[in-house]
Amino acid sequence: MLQRNKAVEVSGITKRFGSLVAVDNVSFDVMEGEIFGFLGPNGAGKTTLIRMLTTLMKPTSGEATVGCCDVTKQPAAVRREIGVVPQAMTSDLDLTGFENMDIYARFYGISSKERKDKIAYLLETVGLSARANELVAAYSGGMRRRLEIARVFVHRPKILFLDEPTIGLDPQSRRVVWDFLRKLREEASITIFITTHYMEEAEVLCSRVAIIDSGRIIAIGSPQDLKSQIPGNDIVSLAVENLTDILVDRINHLPFVREVGTEDGNVRIYVDNGAQDLPLLIDEVKSSGGKVLSATVHQQSLEDVFIHYTGKSIREEEGKKVSFLVGAGIPQKWGR
Amino acid sequence: MGPAYPKNGGGDQNMRSVGLRVLAVIERDLKKFRRNPLVVAMSVLLPLIYLVILGHSFQGKLQALPLVVANLDSGPFSRNVMENLRAVEAGPKTFTLVIVGDEKDAIDGIRRGKYKAGLIIPSDFSKRVALKARPEVGLFLDNTDGISSEAVKNAIMGALGSIRSDYVSIRDKSDEIFLRDINLYRQVDYYESLVPGVVIMAIFLGTLTTGAFNVVMDRFLGVDESYLLTPLSKSDIVAGLIISGLFITTIIAVVILAVSMLMTGIHFSRSPQQFASILLIIILTTLCLLSLMFVILGRINHPRVVGILSGFLNVILFFPSGAVYPIASFPQWLKTFAKINPEAYAVDALKGLLFKGADLASIATDIAFLLVFTIVMMTTAIMTFRRTL
Repeated sequence: MLQRNKAVEVSGITKRFGSLVAVDNVSFDVMEGEIFGFLGPNGAGKTTLIRMLTTLMKPTSGEATVGCCDVTKQPAAVRREIGVVPQAMTSDLDLTGFENMDIYARFYGISSKERKDKIAYLLETVGLSARANELVAAYSGGMRRRLEIARVFVHRPKILFLDEPTIGLDPQSRRVVWDFLRKLREEASITIFITTHYMEEAEVLCSRVAIIDSGRIIAIGSPQDLKSQIPGNDIVSLAVENLTDILVDRINHLPFVREVGTEDGNVRIYVDNGAQDLPLLIDEVKSSGGKVLSATVHQQSLEDVFIHYTGKSIREEEGKKVSFLVGAGIPQKWGR
Repeated sequence: MGPAYPKNGGGDQNMRSVGLRVLAVIERDLKKFRRNPLVVAMSVLLPLIYLVILGHSFQGKLQALPLVVANLDSGPFSRNVMENLRAVEAGPKTFTLVIVGDEKDAIDGIRRGKYKAGLIIPSDFSKRVALKARPEVGLFLDNTDGISSEAVKNAIMGALGSIRSDYVSIRDKSDEIFLRDINLYRQVDYYESLVPGVVIMAIFLGTLTTGAFNVVMDRFLGVDESYLLTPLSKSDIVAGLIISGLFITTIIAVVILAVSMLMTGIHFSRSPQQFASILLIIILTTLCLLSLMFVILGRINHPRVVGILSGFLNVILFFPSGAVYPIASFPQWLKTFAKINPEAYAVDALKGLLFKGADLASIATDIAFLLVFTIVMMTTAIMTFRRTL
């Protein structure tokens, strides 16, 4: 295999907001040309991490090199090499789609002729050519998101950061974005760093994935590697009435069962062949005096990797407490 | 499984639920108010600030108006006049005296804005008093500031009146010291005298809604993040917004100046030099206030705060600027504040240019202050502006 260079090198990066540790001693590398995914629930620290890597926030401790340079020592040099699509929509509503792209391109000192060609190409690629001269205020959420993804390519970044790029998009638009990212990556051979809480996105798009929970990396590797770390191939989920520890223990002792976990009255049973083993499992529950209310069998996914490592499924975390000063127009960090 | 989802209650048509809804709206509003300590504090403080600033900008007696005296007479009666003037200087303190050797120095000083008025006691004054041959003194007035010149004139009349009663009989008219007041400029009425202030207010409003306000709005709408991710530097952002704000505000100010001159009937000399000088002051004042706004609004992220600050800044900058009432009427603390208030220098410069036909040399102090203030504020703005979220 070809020896590749590191595009992103992070060691022991930490960000604290008062007593809250948003990112806790995180280290990882991203190789050039990779699509690297950060997978985790909302509030896991993904956005904070991306903001530190893209020079918008200073880490409390630790180091990160993005492209050529250290993010805290040479932020300006880092900014010239990267392109970022933040999670929140940031295109200017008072400008047209074309004007948004044009102004952005001028920030990078791109000449007028080059701008025109590039913007036309990019707007065509994301299907916005026909609406290029309309105010962004008139765009739908999906259009605005596509514009923002297209915008980041005007200066051909070496490393692209996308923070939840398909959040709130319908499945169709999501696929358009995925295809677009793959296409641009192949054509421009850039490194892509993406955060997501969609398992499917991580599985379909990423060559490697880091699973993050409560600010810490809990597993890292290719989707296949990560899945191979959990026992079996399939997962049988049973909803059982009056689930007892004795019953769980009995299931666990069946010869074909690799591992058992419980969550809210459901039993998750890791097996090699779910379709074949399901009837046997239902029989076992019955013979122990239990009652199966429902049953599902599915192939292991990254979601199961997440559950395996954290003991919980990916869901919304409780919202962060907002400082009382926010509404007064004073940045939250003053109140902390 | 968590606890069961609670059952629905009654309908929402009865009076009780109407009350609930109204209460909910009220409560939401009160909560928002309570959670904005700065806005709450300012809404309480602002009327009180108005009380203090307005109360002291208009009500005070005019004091310490600079009066230049050229006493060309060495006789006893002129010494008497001087004593009486010193008594006014020590007592009601209407003016402070500056003694010069000749008439020309006095008049030049007034023209350069150093003095509000100049009293010339001619060399034959004592002789004429003694002879009761209609003694006369000359009073040169900076009549562009009607309120101040009126106050000086009245105080001097008082001082001269007491000489007369000491030395001559009341019934004899020929003894009366005749005060010949000479207006140095075309008469400026109060309506006209407000025009410089109105132009400065236009500049204030222009600089408040351009420049740094864009940063506040971008922050509020979350658009700033994408700009901060580009190679734009702090000085790119500050300089760019100041230049666009300068362009817009200058146009507004020139339009306001032209319209208000037409409305009040101020004479315009049509000399390109005068126009260029006025434009220079407008540009300098705009730069000055734009930089100040950047320092003040640099870290604000909600337009509501800008709204409340605009009221506050306007009252503390505009009224103590001398635009509506002479600074000489202010108490000492407000006079001191006027010394660091850029709007006071801008008003003074514009009054000079509009009403006295002054050249740039005579408003050099104003220009120097505005320049220094701008440089200090712009440096502070670039230093304190945060390029991180």
